[in-house]
Amino acid sequence: MSNLVNYSHYIGEFQSFEKNGASQLPSWIHEIRKSALNVFTERGFPTTKEENWKYTNVNSIAKGMFTYASNKLVTKIDAEIIESFFPEGKDHHRIVFVNGHLSKEHSKLQNLPKEVVVRNLIEATKTHGGIIQQHLSRYVDYRNNSFAAMNTAFLNDGVFMYIPKNIEVKGPIYCLFISTQFENDQLAAHLRNLIIVEEDAKVKVSFVYRSVYDHKNLTNAVTEIVVKERANFEAVKIQQESDSAFHVENLRVHQHESSIVNVFSLALGSILARNDMSIILDGKEADCNLNGLYITTDNQVIDHHTFMHHIHPNCPSHELFKGILHGNSRAVFNGKVYVEPEAQKTDSKQTNRNLLLSDTATVDTKPELEIFADDVKCTHGAAVGGLNPTYAFYLKSRGISEENTRAMLTVGFAAEVTGKIVDQELRHYVDVLVVEHLRNKLGNTGLPDIVHG
Amino acid sequence: MGPNGSGKSTLAQVLAGHPAYEVTQGEVIFDGQNLLALDPEKRAHAGVFLAFQYPVEIPGVSNSYFLKAGLNEIRKSKGLEELDSMQFLKLIKEKMKVVEMDPSFINRPVNEGFSGGEKKKNEILQMAVLEPKLAILDETDSGLDIDALKIVAGGVNKLKSPTNASIVVTHYQRLLNYIVPDFVHVLVKGQIIKSGGKELALELEADGYDLIKEEFGTMSHA
Repeated sequence: MSNLVNYSHYIGEFQSFEKNGASQLPSWIHEIRKSALNVFTERGFPTTKEENWKYTNVNSIAKGMFTYASNKLVTKIDAEIIESFFPEGKDHHRIVFVNGHLSKEHSKLQNLPKEVVVRNLIEATKTHGGIIQQHLSRYVDYRNNSFAAMNTAFLNDGVFMYIPKNIEVKGPIYCLFISTQFENDQLAAHLRNLIIVEEDAKVKVSFVYRSVYDHKNLTNAVTEIVVKERANFEAVKIQQESDSAFHVENLRVHQHESSIVNVFSLALGSILARNDMSIILDGKEADCNLNGLYITTDNQVIDHHTFMHHIHPNCPSHELFKGILHGNSRAVFNGKVYVEPEAQKTDSKQTNRNLLLSDTATVDTKPELEIFADDVKCTHGAAVGGLNPTYAFYLKSRGISEENTRAMLTVGFAAEVTGKIVDQELRHYVDVLVVEHLRNKLGNTGLPDIVHG
Repeated sequence: MGPNGSGKSTLAQVLAGHPAYEVTQGEVIFDGQNLLALDPEKRAHAGVFLAFQYPVEIPGVSNSYFLKAGLNEIRKSKGLEELDSMQFLKLIKEKMKVVEMDPSFINRPVNEGFSGGEKKKNEILQMAVLEPKLAILDETDSGLDIDALKIVAGGVNKLKSPTNASIVVTHYQRLLNYIVPDFVHVLVKGQIIKSGGKELALELEADGYDLIKEEFGTMSHA
């Protein structure tokens, strides 16, 4: 633990948090909070001495003295701004949070099938207390994870979703988490999301993290997802917080037999962002695709740690993470695949490819395979480099300039992984964000829109 | 023409400026300009075009965007006005007929998921749109079935004009039944060892390359 951090600040924060407004949740949650606070103050923020944090220094977060954003800080936000965060044109299902608190005003959930439950956790504890108690904090273990412990200490609100058996939700459900500024405080939002997808149900969800201003807020989210037998779940996470923000999320998906899960992470924002994404394949023939794209510019640091846990036989898992790095930015990819002795016929593939667009950008990429079964197919690969010269030659041989060649190949590099998003609406949404972001950050207005075959 | 490993594709790539090759000696004069001094895109602006043996797939970028970008840069270099989207669409639809390509290919990513034949047709489509003075077709017949071969050859024939030329690189006489050459040159070990008219291709088909190699006492059996 780091002695430089004043943990009494967080103990004080916790006391006023428990007193003010956070008392609506049932008593068993208070117990978890207290226990998590102890873990957090004992462990402290992680340091680079921990293997899991070797490449990412969170000192800037540790020094932050963040203030818990109470629900009094749910400031008014223009509907137009909210609208600009969504794909155009449709009446999307959406639930919106501002600084960690539900914004009823901006949420639209009336068109969901009536059996489907999408609400904030505080309300949900009144209607679905039993199921929440059964699952909350069962998957992301705060006892060995400082940020998860901090989140759990301040556990209060977030998205709760319950998709009953055999129900298919047609359009994607968007969960928008906005952070805003309040005076000069550095606010912290500890979002806590829980999603239960019952047997044979099907749903697509997008988690969208955005900021309204450029400020040094901390988003420290924990998302737990349970996907039951034969259910089909797709999640697209879009992290586009402001250039000064800090973003940490621990996301864990617990998959049961024959379920199909597709998770995609688009990481564009924040000065420092860390995504821990874990998939537990806890049933035979469970199928998982975990993909992502990070684009880092200036002095950004974006870190993905993934964990693919094969417990039972006959599970395929495919993982492709790609990075585009510019300026002095840095990216980390650490992908762990763990195959238990029982998990025969595992078919696991993991790939990480990085495109360096500047001489000063760096990437640390580390695949970790631990295989204890003998009849498996596991491959992994990592690559770091510039634009492919053979591809570039093809474009130039058609008269295309160096600049436009770079633009097209960069877009092509991104498109290969965004093409993995199954839902067409979400894929298009991501494609548009990627190209807009690249145009802004690389200052190249000539970048083409992404098309897929 | 020439046997495997004789340097046909290398020559084609060198002319177009592939970065894997460094030319240590000599020059290539094209229309009064030394091609070797130009970057690949400038060679394209000067009117050189290479139809690739293995066209590259570019995910995410539509065929039409790619071709429009190339055409407009070539037009710009000639002081011509760039085509807008409407004008380009009209042009490409016309050109697609030359290679009997389905219009749906316009908006698909460049070569991604195309069959071998479709990729080769796409190369000829690009040639039709860019209208080079010199087109180098590198093994354009490889991997084509007879129907695709006829279409590709037909495209090349339709594009022939008094102001342009094509170098067709091939192993086999088969393609030359459909694209009738004015000249045939035989390349062995990096050197042209025999030149002639279209009948030379027929001789090669009948006798193979070994006969000429012996005739010219080449060093192929060193």
